[in-house]
Amino acid sequence: MTKEKIMFPKARIPYGTWGSSYFPAWQTSALAEINIGQFAGEAMNKIMGMKKVPKTELEYLVIGSTIPWHWKFWNAPMVASCMGHRIPGFHLEQACATGLQAIIHAASEVEGGSSDVVGVLTFDRTSDSPVGVFPERRAYRRTEAIADVWDNFGFDPATGNSMLITAGLAARKYKIDREEVDDLTFHRYKQYFDTIDSGWLDNILIPLEVLNIQGRFLGLINEDTGVRRLSRASLRAQRELDTCITPGSQTHAADGMATLLVTGIEKAKELSTRPEIDIQFVGKTELRVGPSYMPEAPALAVKKLLDRTGLSMDDMLVVKNHNPFAVNDVIFAKVMNYDWHKMNNTGSSLVYGHPQGPTLTRTVIEALEEAVTLGGGYVLVFGCAAGDVGIASIFKVTEGGKKL
Amino acid sequence: MIVSMRQSTLQTLGLGTVLEIFKKHQLPANSSNLVDQVFGANDNRGSLVISGANGIVGAGKAMQLGSRLEAFGVPIVGLDFPGTPDGIGNQFPGLVEAFGAENAQKIMANIIRLNYNGKNLPKELKELKPRFLLEAIPEILEIKKAHYKLFRESFPGVEIRSVTSGFPSSELGVGIAHPAFPHEINKVWEVVEPEPSNITKLLWSLGLIPVPVSDHWSFVLDVLFCGITLAGLRYHQATNMPYWKIDKYIRKFIGPNPFRAHDVIGAKGANFLTWSCLHHLGNNYGELFIPTLDLTERKETGQDWYPPDHFRPMVNWRLDDDESDDFLSWTLGPLFQMTSILLHEQRGNLSNINAIGELCAQFRSGIIATIRDIGADSTIKRVASYHKLHPVAASTAWYPEVFEKMNDPEWQQLYVNAEHDGKVGVITISRESYNHDVDSELNRAIDWLKKEGIHNVIVTGDFHLATQMVGADTSDFFPALENVDEGDRVASTWSLTARRLHNEFKVSVGYINGKRCMGGFLELLIHCHYLVTTDEVKLGMPEVTLPVVPGMEGCHWPFRKTIPENWPKLLKLLLVGNQVKAIDTTGWLCDYTGTQEEALEKVWKLANEEDHGLKLRKVVDTALEGIPTDVQLPASDNEGMETARKVIMETIKDSCSVSLSEALSKQSKHSANFMISKHCKTGTIGTVFNQVMNI
Repeated sequence: MTKEKIMFPKARIPYGTWGSSYFPAWQTSALAEINIGQFAGEAMNKIMGMKKVPKTELEYLVIGSTIPWHWKFWNAPMVASCMGHRIPGFHLEQACATGLQAIIHAASEVEGGSSDVVGVLTFDRTSDSPVGVFPERRAYRRTEAIADVWDNFGFDPATGNSMLITAGLAARKYKIDREEVDDLTFHRYKQYFDTIDSGWLDNILIPLEVLNIQGRFLGLINEDTGVRRLSRASLRAQRELDTCITPGSQTHAADGMATLLVTGIEKAKELSTRPEIDIQFVGKTELRVGPSYMPEAPALAVKKLLDRTGLSMDDMLVVKNHNPFAVNDVIFAKVMNYDWHKMNNTGSSLVYGHPQGPTLTRTVIEALEEAVTLGGGYVLVFGCAAGDVGIASIFKVTEGGKKL
Repeated sequence: MIVSMRQSTLQTLGLGTVLEIFKKHQLPANSSNLVDQVFGANDNRGSLVISGANGIVGAGKAMQLGSRLEAFGVPIVGLDFPGTPDGIGNQFPGLVEAFGAENAQKIMANIIRLNYNGKNLPKELKELKPRFLLEAIPEILEIKKAHYKLFRESFPGVEIRSVTSGFPSSELGVGIAHPAFPHEINKVWEVVEPEPSNITKLLWSLGLIPVPVSDHWSFVLDVLFCGITLAGLRYHQATNMPYWKIDKYIRKFIGPNPFRAHDVIGAKGANFLTWSCLHHLGNNYGELFIPTLDLTERKETGQDWYPPDHFRPMVNWRLDDDESDDFLSWTLGPLFQMTSILLHEQRGNLSNINAIGELCAQFRSGIIATIRDIGADSTIKRVASYHKLHPVAASTAWYPEVFEKMNDPEWQQLYVNAEHDGKVGVITISRESYNHDVDSELNRAIDWLKKEGIHNVIVTGDFHLATQMVGADTSDFFPALENVDEGDRVASTWSLTARRLHNEFKVSVGYINGKRCMGGFLELLIHCHYLVTTDEVKLGMPEVTLPVVPGMEGCHWPFRKTIPENWPKLLKLLLVGNQVKAIDTTGWLCDYTGTQEEALEKVWKLANEEDHGLKLRKVVDTALEGIPTDVQLPASDNEGMETARKVIMETIKDSCSVSLSEALSKQSKHSANFMISKHCKTGTIGTVFNQVMNI
């Protein structure tokens, strides 16, 4: 039985005003060689053009990224300039939750009445991540140099553990079986490739041609480069890096961007390619679990969100998890007593990669598109983030207040 | 009585017909006399005052006019506010490059710079006797009017022209002399005055190109250039495509790159001028011309349209066929509608309007030629498509009926005109590069003269819009880079046209004045029975440097017209590609060179079959033997040029070793085959093709 309250009654996501780049694996594409902030701004402009949204409609821009990029100091205004539209905005960052958090904050901008059309633009380049040099007089080495992606993945300063260790710890806590993890991984790859092969993602993932400094062709970003079809046998044969964790059952670093709009009710109708579709924000929550148990955080966040909204998993039409480790999905299924075959239908970050900032934005876009394809209903999107955090959000896709 | 296919553009300046120039053996206007009339006699010479002399227009025109009037002792006074950044001094390096250090210093020494406060003219000005004020101050009507009043009160009788690109003469109360960018070198001036004045005739006699237009808000150039800019802005508004990419597509489909041009001119000033023109046009004509918000913003900020170097574009945009068609509707649609207004208002002679687009706004084909090329029905459909995409534009006037006259000679002969006096005909070509339009029009002109019973013809430039003949328009070769048949078609079709000058007239005389005659145009004119030039003209066959193989019979026709002793000179001309002075080619390329008056007289005598003293150099129509193959050439480290030399040599041997009737196809096939080679594709033409068309 549903008794949900709408979190942001005045905010909407206009159907179709979204798009994402493919997520090529790190160091495999032209994205490894460019300023990702500039790329994201220009790509968003192009995607909005393809979706028939004049960029001049945008009043505000919320950008999200987790890895420093050239001229990051100049923040959202710089990215907006690269889009060709001088609007204000701000930068938001919460590790792998960034992509969802940015959408929620855009909605709060609309809800608060400060802007009627807010762009969400998330992006990251994990390739060749910058090295930060931090003078630390109290540190043994006096000066610490940290490679932003890998040194952070390998060391949570609050616990001293790596991301990988959290997966192993959580797998042991929930007594996860390696075979189930491999089966789930195999299924996730199948879901992804079935969707790719069907062409269903063509409306979401936009091929983008990247130019070099001379204006000549540098590369075409037209696939999630690096993702290969895997067999069950090959997954079984992989060596464990920690309990139930193999190279195949964890995600890989990638580069990319994703974007969507959040607007007021009337503007959503005006800008959407299908104005009859209504996409609302039902609720969102976050929580933090015990030290180094990150993979259980999403499940517990979902539990909390369902409690708050009065909804149940049975109410959910589409369920999508940002799953850097396959064990995340297995733990979620166990905690929520949910069949993991029914979720992540169109693919997930376990397979297509994890450029951090835009990962959950692409996840949301795919989830909303899937809900429209299926006729409308509740959409649950959730995931984990650095610091043993879980984040979850529910959207409602309807036509004129009724289920599609 | 002189009869013509259409009015010559020279006549629009009150300078008579081209045929009269030959008949009288002199040009219709003389600089020395006109300087006396405009600035006073030598012992009482007045000055030219340019106000706003440090601005882009003022400084450019100070150079252009200063370099021409210095020899006549006309002082140039550059008037501006104190503290204005030095625009004139910045011109000096360019002046040195163009004229050499000594002449540049002389020209600069003749420019007297004075400051004023906008209200009182400097005392020193009186000594300099201002006779002609060229006003180049900001586009603010009241300031301009006050400026004229000040000058008229101080110097009664002073002639005033405004360089304004927006205000009509009727608003300003002075004549208009509206120049085109780049102001140092662009020779075109749109002039608005009741009758062609001595100032206008003086500009012409100094080698500039005054073009009369009617008195309306914004002149032809600005309607076209601001119009295409606005079209690009509207496309941007509709699709988000960045300005830089829109620029590339406008360049591909039409020719100009308006946004780059704004940045190069200086976005601050250019944005304001474009906005100002469109603003006034919008007020007077309606929505079709209303400036977009981004232009309105940028006229204040002066922001460039292209991103800065550190943000060179990263994400590419491409149009598929349907999107390209939409793009054409967004860009050509409003241009066609605007052109219909220009024609409805009879803004000027059609050839002049057409030339303004090509000479001043980078149009690959003038707007009238473009419309003629696609036809009235398609033009009207294109405008209708535009109105569907941008409905408010339909509320502005649109005159499709003006295209009903497309079969009139004024439409059909934009680049080539013909005149005759019953005995001698003159074919004039007003385009500096030979293309398919010139070829078709030339054929029609030949047909017309023959129909009129004319057997003797002079073929020449138009003494107005074309100040040189630079050769073939290489953009006509683009399809031939991929299609050998297309190359063969172009070469053989153009060669057949050239042969008509030789075969279908009793006497044909090619006459070249101006700076130079090169490549395809030289090949065309050597087909005349006689070729006459002024002494200073430079001739050349630069094809080998591009590289291409000459396609209009340059590899055998001149060999057939001269004795074997001269063949090495022809080989050098073809295989090195350097320019030679016409006076040094007498007997093997030209038949006569002389001063302008001598050459004009010789042409007239030749055309009238009077006693001219020249012997006809006949074309040998059998195979030639003994073409030398061991010509000593300066080595080139350019692989393409070396290969072209070999192929041109083969072409010469093959086309000379057969009869005249077989030679044409021999040469055109060699030319076409080379066009699809990697050397041509990576040479100048291929590179330009890739930059402009492969985007």
